[in-house]
Amino acid sequence: MSEQTQIGDVVLEARGISKAYGAVQALDNVDIELRRGEVLGLVGDNGAGKTTLVKCLSGVFRPDSGTILIDGNDYGDLTAEFARSLGIETVYQNLSLVDTLDVMQNFFLNRELFYNNPPARALRWLNRRRMYKVTEEHLRALGLPVDARRPVSALSGGQRQMIAVGRAITWGRHIVMLDEPAAALGVRQSIQVLRFVRTMAERGVAVLFISHNMQHVLQVTDRIVVLRHGAHVGNLRTADATAQQIVTLITGSELVIAGQDFAV
Amino acid sequence: MTDTTPQTPPSAGPALTERPEGVLNLLRAGLNRASGSVRALGTLAALGLIWLYFSLESQYFFTTANIWNILLQSANVGIIAAGLTVVMIAAEIDLSIGSLEALSGSVAAVVIIQHGYSIWLGIAAALGATVLAGMVSGLITWKLKVVSFISTLAMLGIAQGVAFLLTNGHAIAGFGSTYAQIGTSTIDGFPGAVIIAAGAFLVLHLMLTRTKLGLQIYAVGGNAEAAAYAGINPGRVKLIALMISGFTGGIAGLILSSRLDAGNGLFGAGDLLQAVAAVVIGGTSLFGGVGNVIGTAIGVVIIASINDGLILMNVPDFWQQIVVGVLIIAAMVVDQLAKAARLTVR
Repeated sequence: MSEQTQIGDVVLEARGISKAYGAVQALDNVDIELRRGEVLGLVGDNGAGKTTLVKCLSGVFRPDSGTILIDGNDYGDLTAEFARSLGIETVYQNLSLVDTLDVMQNFFLNRELFYNNPPARALRWLNRRRMYKVTEEHLRALGLPVDARRPVSALSGGQRQMIAVGRAITWGRHIVMLDEPAAALGVRQSIQVLRFVRTMAERGVAVLFISHNMQHVLQVTDRIVVLRHGAHVGNLRTADATAQQIVTLITGSELVIAGQDFAV
Repeated sequence: MTDTTPQTPPSAGPALTERPEGVLNLLRAGLNRASGSVRALGTLAALGLIWLYFSLESQYFFTTANIWNILLQSANVGIIAAGLTVVMIAAEIDLSIGSLEALSGSVAAVVIIQHGYSIWLGIAAALGATVLAGMVSGLITWKLKVVSFISTLAMLGIAQGVAFLLTNGHAIAGFGSTYAQIGTSTIDGFPGAVIIAAGAFLVLHLMLTRTKLGLQIYAVGGNAEAAAYAGINPGRVKLIALMISGFTGGIAGLILSSRLDAGNGLFGAGDLLQAVAAVVIGGTSLFGGVGNVIGTAIGVVIIASINDGLILMNVPDFWQQIVVGVLIIAAMVVDQLAKAARLTVR
């Protein structure tokens, strides 16, 4: 599926990213590049540093060392708010929704719309009617017809995940990073998320896709980066890769059980 | 933020989300949506029952003069409880509010009575001192990661100590008639202090429900991590909440010192218990993210009504504190039972 996609310029380049939690070196001198229109798979075993890397790239964590260039610019210490203002959206593994707020409040969280007059802007007075309308329009267009006034706590795990993914897809006009976006989803919704990922890439968004599901990774990505114990150990074109090869890179050894490939 | 217009989403696939159907799900959705107002109606019903009981027990209870008196007795506790509600929605607590009342009144007394400066300067200094106190608690919580339970407990001691130092342990009395207007003026018999309190509730209600700041307070209290992912700084929001509580503590202290015509380190000392009770009775969660000032307003009036009714029934004063303590526990138990019931329905 990568053949017809036009892969363009590097939009995010991270060089030499290191991050330690106390004595544990979560990331050790990792380089990674995201390109316009490309889906980059990021794989690795539990604890390999995938989530830490995403949080460094999205401005949530400050790396101990290394530089992050966005469109060639080094903005210094990247903050989550600034990254978002550059059109970078992230779905975190633990979902990043506030359960006590409703769907609209989560959809717009920290990018609310105000009434368009000076006092309303000064007081940051919310235009709630418009936000409910916009939320429902966007979620409906994504095939997620949810009542935007429902509290997130009233939704099922799958619905919450789709809201989080839908939010990232809607607002991420430049770079979208998805950490296990299909983890809580059934088969049909997983397929829908994979379709969203391809559609975004075709629109020129750079997508970083983290999954433990080799089938998903092989289906949806153009290129795959493998992390092991916080280090970058492999970078391969998906078209040339096999599941066996990736699993070998992830684990650092050939996993063979009773003579059979253990890879999915 | 440079661009608030979302890009058009990718073309829709077939609708693949599960959509809850059926009576049970509809009922559940309705309950969830209305759970806030159901809770408020329950509190209001409790107030109605309390008023009914005291009206039956005492012929003086349900009279205009007595109801106005209940509202007047609610005014300064109500104002600190409104500020405390904001702090508790942000998943923090402010234990210093009672002593902030003392600090505010004492600063006003020193500036106005001892030094003879204008009333306006005294009010500004008093509010400045309490907002500064809230800011110190908030900064300690934000920057030094000391939970507000501790930072505001320390501020409880510090603010009261400063108030005692300023007044030399005595009550500095004699503000004069203009200052007395703050707490004692009436409009056709209706106490002006209640109007100030109602104004505070209205402003905080609108702030919480209609402004971005309010939404951030709910977001940070509901899930500080998710709020941080969205670029909200939880520590900063909690700082603002504690400064709001400092401001309301200052206003309440002005009203109290005006009514007592003095400033002293002891004034307001018993108000913390009542304010916490009012907030909890009003349905604000101790865990943050849930609550509103309307419920708190009803909670304050419930407590003032019980205090007033017990006096009319000649019950000794000491019982009031016991009753308020029992009410806190009762409100928590009711909320726990309701929570358990909701979980079983789900």
